[in-house]
Amino acid sequence: MTQGLEMRSVSKFYRAGSERITALDRVSIRVEPGEFVAVVGPSGSGKTTFLSIAGALLRPSEGEVILNGKNIAALPDRHLSDIRLREIGFIMQASNLIPYLNVLDQLLVVKRMAGKVTPADKAFAVELLSDLGLDKRMKNYPEKLSGGEKQRVAIARALMNDPGIILADEPTASLDTKRAHEVVSLIARAVKTRRKAAVMVTHDERLLSYCDKVYRMEDGRLSLMEPMLAH
Amino acid sequence: MFLALKEMRHSKTRFVMIGTILVLVSWLVFILSGLGNGLATLAASTFQNMAADYVVFEKGSKASMSKSLLSGGLTAELLEIPNVEAASPMGIIMGSAAKGGSEENKLDIALVGIEPGSFLEPAVTEGTGLDAGRPSHVIVNESMKDEGFKIGDTFVLDGTTEILTIAGFVRDQTYNHVAYVFIPIETWRKLAFAAPGSDKGVKDPVNAIMLQGKDIDPNVVSERLPGTETVTRAQAVQGIAGYKEETGTIFMMLGFLFVISAFIVGVFFYVLTMQKSNQFGIMKAIGAKNGFLSRAVISQVFVLSLASIAIGILLTYGTAVVLPKGMPFRLETGWVIAYSLVLLAIALASSLVSVRTVVKIDPLKALGRVES
Repeated sequence: MTQGLEMRSVSKFYRAGSERITALDRVSIRVEPGEFVAVVGPSGSGKTTFLSIAGALLRPSEGEVILNGKNIAALPDRHLSDIRLREIGFIMQASNLIPYLNVLDQLLVVKRMAGKVTPADKAFAVELLSDLGLDKRMKNYPEKLSGGEKQRVAIARALMNDPGIILADEPTASLDTKRAHEVVSLIARAVKTRRKAAVMVTHDERLLSYCDKVYRMEDGRLSLMEPMLAH
Repeated sequence: MFLALKEMRHSKTRFVMIGTILVLVSWLVFILSGLGNGLATLAASTFQNMAADYVVFEKGSKASMSKSLLSGGLTAELLEIPNVEAASPMGIIMGSAAKGGSEENKLDIALVGIEPGSFLEPAVTEGTGLDAGRPSHVIVNESMKDEGFKIGDTFVLDGTTEILTIAGFVRDQTYNHVAYVFIPIETWRKLAFAAPGSDKGVKDPVNAIMLQGKDIDPNVVSERLPGTETVTRAQAVQGIAGYKEETGTIFMMLGFLFVISAFIVGVFFYVLTMQKSNQFGIMKAIGAKNGFLSRAVISQVFVLSLASIAIGILLTYGTAVVLPKGMPFRLETGWVIAYSLVLLAIALASSLVSVRTVVKIDPLKALGRVES
């Protein structure tokens, strides 16, 4: 059984009127645990479709998506939500926190979705938040947090269920350079120490030095970039 | 429940505002139910409290006492019909009581003739009951005390020379908002059919005969005794002049309030859900199931409605204390509970619109944009 994320010749077609649009064209990728991969490309190139399929939000038209050794390409919706809950940690664009939950509850709600919150879960949440430098912010609501702090909460939330895979969608979209570096280095550190397979979709080329591999997406085709070109 | 309570605590203002509307609606529902009950009691308490199961009227009288005229002699025949356990005649005329024979101080009354000692005679709360040996002694509704009547007082039935003596008081015995005066049927007959020919030749005339017996078949009764029609006690209550119209109005208002509360809850939570569709999308993206989010919405509606209804009940009982004594207002715990449950059920049912919306939200929304 292989750990991590693997996509084999995945295609996604949309129908727009009588035309068939190819959003993803036979994409293949493999991300090992402990590996941090970036996907760059212009908007409209298929990055989000790629991430949605990798994140069990969307089913591919063709091909296989293997998460921790299990093909999820054809699972029904209610299984997909379970996969998202247990196997995948999402880090989305800024301000995707629940406005009426404090920082600690943002993490615990993930546990509630799966069932009960145990004292061990609470201790783990506190540990994650301290690890990300948020120990003084646990009782604050999102409106009191800065953009960088919000993203750190999002990172902690993604790690809460101890998933095998971390997917980040433009995590630095609304941050200045300093905060963007801070956030991405934190993701990179968590990926290494906790042995996650991580994919970050971004068009922010400043941050690619944190990643092990960089792929470029163009017109639905994914290709590996030479390390030289990444900088 | 977790999400529901956290959100309500965080956005107090909007939930307090919608809660206030629900409190007012439930308050009004309970007040109307109390008022409806009070009016119905005033209009028909005797019928409602009476130990009779069926009422025999003259055919074509549409279950109205004042239109019906029967012979008291039918009572014996009725007792021979299967399942009839007891039968007793009754008659009503409206009149006015002139205290001490004075022409100025008159009180509207309903004069009810019954057989002394029959199951139709209500228990006295004070004084003594009817006695065939004392034909001019009557028992009257307690409300006449407020007019200054006491045990042993006499009054003259206006338009006659009959002097009646109050032997006892009974509780909650009114007909069409007028106090009841119970009188032995023989005396009643003398007063009701004083004018020659007014009994239309019927022997021992009465207005109706009340029956006891759970399993009486009304069809059998009308077959055996042509010229009669037999209805249940509830139908006889409906036949009281103005009763249907009065309670109908109240029930119509209650109906409207239920519809209004359904829309208030439904629309409020629908708009709220639409506003939060992005949040729901995010939660679905990180793994929340439809059931988890639907439970959050429903438990929010449940908590909000339950709290509002509870406050509404408290306010209603508070109102009942302040209302003037003469107001026909009567709360019955059974009805308060029933209406509370109806309000709660309506709120929960109308929240299903929001649940449907939640189920339809696409988790892809969380990624901010959907590329095509």
